[in-house]
Amino acid sequence: MADLANIVAVGILLGGIYALVSVGLNLIFGVIRIVNFAQGEFVMLGMYGTYAAYTFLRVDPYLALVVVLPGLFLFGAIVQRLILAPLRTEPTMQIFATFGLLMLLENVVLALTRGTAYSVTSVVAQTSIGIGGVQVGLVRLVALAAATGVAVALGLFLKHSMLGRAIRAVAQDRSAARLVGVNVDRIYMLTFGIGAALAGLAGCLLTPIYTLSPQIGTSFILPAFAVVVLGGLGSVLGAYIGGFIVGLTEAFAGYYLDPALKHAVLFAVFIAVLIVRPSGLFGQVGAEEVGLRDQS
Amino acid sequence: MTGATFAQRVAAIAAAFTLTAGAAAAQDLKIGVVNPFSGGMALYGDEMTRGYDIAADQANAKGGVLGRKVVVLRASATNPQEAIAAVEQLIGRDKVDVLSGTYVTAIANAASEAALNNNKLYWETNALARDLTDRGLPNFTRTGPDSTAFARRSVEGTLQLVIPKLGKTAKDMKVWIEHEDSAFGTSIAKEQERLLKEAGVQVTLGSHSARAVDLSDSILRAKNAAPDLWLSTGYVTDHNLLLRTAREQSFRPAAMMLVGTGDTFETLESVGKDFLNGILLVSYPRADVSESFGPGAAAFLAAYRAKYNRDPIAPQAMSAFVGFKILLETIAAAGTTDYEKVIATVAKADKPLGTYETGYGLKLDKTMQNTRALPVIAQWQDGHVKAVFPKEAIAPGGTMLDLGRK
Amino acid sequence: MINPDGASAFAPASSAGAADRTGPRTRSAPRVKTFASELPRALLVLGLLSGLVYLYSGDTFTLNTLAAAFLFAGLSSAWNIIGGFGGQFSLGHSVFFAVGAYTTANLYLKAGISPWIALAPAALLAALVACLLSWPVFRLRGPFFAIATMAFTEVALALGNYMESITGGTRGMSIPFRLGFANMIFRDRLSYALLMLGFAALCLLVVLAVHRSRLGYYLQAVRDNEQAARAAGISVLRVKLMGMALSAALTGIGGGLFFMQVRVADPAALLSLFEFGVKFALIALIGGLGTIYGPLLGALVVIPLESWLRAELGGIVPGANLIVLSLCLILAALFMKHGIVGSLQRLFTIATRRIPR
Repeated sequence: MADLANIVAVGILLGGIYALVSVGLNLIFGVIRIVNFAQGEFVMLGMYGTYAAYTFLRVDPYLALVVVLPGLFLFGAIVQRLILAPLRTEPTMQIFATFGLLMLLENVVLALTRGTAYSVTSVVAQTSIGIGGVQVGLVRLVALAAATGVAVALGLFLKHSMLGRAIRAVAQDRSAARLVGVNVDRIYMLTFGIGAALAGLAGCLLTPIYTLSPQIGTSFILPAFAVVVLGGLGSVLGAYIGGFIVGLTEAFAGYYLDPALKHAVLFAVFIAVLIVRPSGLFGQVGAEEVGLRDQS
Repeated sequence: MTGATFAQRVAAIAAAFTLTAGAAAAQDLKIGVVNPFSGGMALYGDEMTRGYDIAADQANAKGGVLGRKVVVLRASATNPQEAIAAVEQLIGRDKVDVLSGTYVTAIANAASEAALNNNKLYWETNALARDLTDRGLPNFTRTGPDSTAFARRSVEGTLQLVIPKLGKTAKDMKVWIEHEDSAFGTSIAKEQERLLKEAGVQVTLGSHSARAVDLSDSILRAKNAAPDLWLSTGYVTDHNLLLRTAREQSFRPAAMMLVGTGDTFETLESVGKDFLNGILLVSYPRADVSESFGPGAAAFLAAYRAKYNRDPIAPQAMSAFVGFKILLETIAAAGTTDYEKVIATVAKADKPLGTYETGYGLKLDKTMQNTRALPVIAQWQDGHVKAVFPKEAIAPGGTMLDLGRK
Repeated sequence: MINPDGASAFAPASSAGAADRTGPRTRSAPRVKTFASELPRALLVLGLLSGLVYLYSGDTFTLNTLAAAFLFAGLSSAWNIIGGFGGQFSLGHSVFFAVGAYTTANLYLKAGISPWIALAPAALLAALVACLLSWPVFRLRGPFFAIATMAFTEVALALGNYMESITGGTRGMSIPFRLGFANMIFRDRLSYALLMLGFAALCLLVVLAVHRSRLGYYLQAVRDNEQAARAAGISVLRVKLMGMALSAALTGIGGGLFFMQVRVADPAALLSLFEFGVKFALIALIGGLGTIYGPLLGALVVIPLESWLRAELGGIVPGANLIVLSLCLILAALFMKHGIVGSLQRLFTIATRRIPR
């Protein structure tokens, strides 16, 4: 039983990490319909930003948020305006522009750091709590809490604020949104900026867990896509719950089956769900059948 | 983009002209290096090549080799197909005399065959897999330790250091062998398993992907097995994640031993010196070995610091430095870069352990693998890494701590 | 099912967009182009490429680059059948590539079957795997299809690492160097360049035949408007499956050839999403999606550029070659939205319009 409790805890905490990483991707994918390959690199940039603040400004990794969040928002907005907006009519080219961006960011960081791995320490990272035989690292608990907080806040923001409503309107029907006076281009830029900032948030909170390398972003991107599609496109709740599904699947497969097979199991489950319920568990039915071309 | 291909053609044509005109350039002894200089292994490819550069500098300070200036030329390869391209580039375009490398086994494999197709020597200083020398390529030799040497050393450490320290016998000793699941970790772990079973030790095997986002499952599995020794082979990022997870999950076996990595400043930063204290490390000999074990190790460290303004990031650099030094010595002795003659010369060499900075000697077996190149076991002691095995490697005043686990 | 109103509202716009980017296959052209009328042009292109090989026959570095470019030209043309003509944006073609590679290697190593012959079962098996895998996911569209096929790569990678008897596991598999035409193992780079040119030629001719065939028109109809295609009596799933099978078969052959050239590979290398899965599509896009010569042009630009950058910059600053390459890709995406072929056509149109004035 202690085993099971432990594995469930591991899965939920991992789910928190995935939910945190995926929430920005979900926003970008759901609203702008861009398969953003570079989202993992945004997380990576958030991590290196945190490391830079930790090393040069000597602040706690968590405090680095103050710099990293606005930095990535700005970066995301600029990327959208300069690279993605001009390609709006060419969704397939957009995918490859984000792929080019992935390569660019990864290698710029490599060139700047020579690929040296970095780590930060924080008091939080050293602490772990034992609850009835289940050991929980405080950093992971913080990530879980943040994922929950972000999901709630983003849900409220989309539902009640003026900007949030505009974003949802664009996600549902961009021509209609334009007709009722929504500035679609601006919404795209802001959404992409917010998505990038959320990736930065994830990077910041995960820095005390991981060792930084230029390639770390690519380890997150595929599971993050699985989370988004499993949970349901454009559903904040979906991305949150999708994170836990992926986290728990991985933890169970890794522990009870074989760590070497956990990715295979995860993606097999993913494909199965996709076939049975293509719109994801919480997504709007029919979303998956809107092809890339129909968007333009 | 079309301009670039055009430029390439122009460059190729220009190269063809310089070839006929530039006989003077052939004065240099050109050594081509195939290594990953981008991607995840870039740091180590670069670090190794720095070792070559230092060896070349030292040879040039003494007037070069065969009266020729030694020039190191780099070509980047991150996979086998790029390795072939790198060899063609070095031989076809840069006109190198000899090839050397490599941080990654698969790259060494493809590059050495491509070198043979061009009738050039491929001098391996680092890549680990045993299979490389087992192929029996006539242009290939390896001066550094192979995967079996790492496995053997870690098993020696288990039997001669850990078991006595824990007051156990081999029969009631439980070892968990953890390894990352690419060729590097798998080949070492399989050999460890074989040797430990031979010694009668109880063994369980576990593997993980170096790219995994979470390794709690691997740690929990190991924790469940309650081993006396947790013996792990991996890269930097996964080892750090494993150690952090072990700390979180309060996994504290009586002894821990890391193979390959875990000896850098960055692991210290990541895991903290308290948790690291007492952990054993099997790695290439580091510059902290005693002067009697590795004569010149301190001088190498000084040379590295002078050239790059920092300490070596990984111990691969010194091993590469020694390998390159042996290459230059062998070319000087053979009087040529012709691969048959160079290999014949090095096959006859017989130098005892402790000849080189890393404590290596030189005596090749039938497969052209250096049998006198052995890793060293070190230990984390209060935030510093100190050599502890073999005994001769221990620096004056050094000693082995308790294993630090409860 | 999609909202029918939405579909009809989008339909005119999308088909106009499609007509926009079609050059040589514009249906309003006075003469319908056929395989026979297109053949001379294809042969001319292949002849020029042979000339290129002849020109560089003494330069092994360039020959090696050309071999890689031809291989990718073939692979990308194969991808273009389903990805370009059919509009099914697969990122999982590296699975079929790996199936072909392992079939060829295993038949050669374990049964002693010459790779020349083993390529046939490799192609068949790759096509079979492609049909089985894509059958269930063909109901997904656009990015969802792309992501699902990407997930195949991950599953295949984990399984490939696990099935040691077939793939050699993570330690990889290598084919010993035994020279000989029957073994498809050569010492000189010229043979490989010619071999890969042959593969590119095969793919080009198949593409040509498909493009002017009923299947080709069906595929394009499905791409431009699935609803309309279905309404017109086309069995959409069957057309997609046939396109995929053909595309995967050629990809499998490419995989076999690749393995025989490199002779050492592990699952992580063969199933690399970025080295293969994405690259096939990327090259087709850079060259011109859904055009006959686009993938060929794309490969002849991207691969030599990549190789040249690696040679010039690879050893200097870590990653410098890839920084420049990725900048080139982003710029190409921005300024050649319809690929090289599209840009050339626009230039051509502008030039011909000016002449009468």
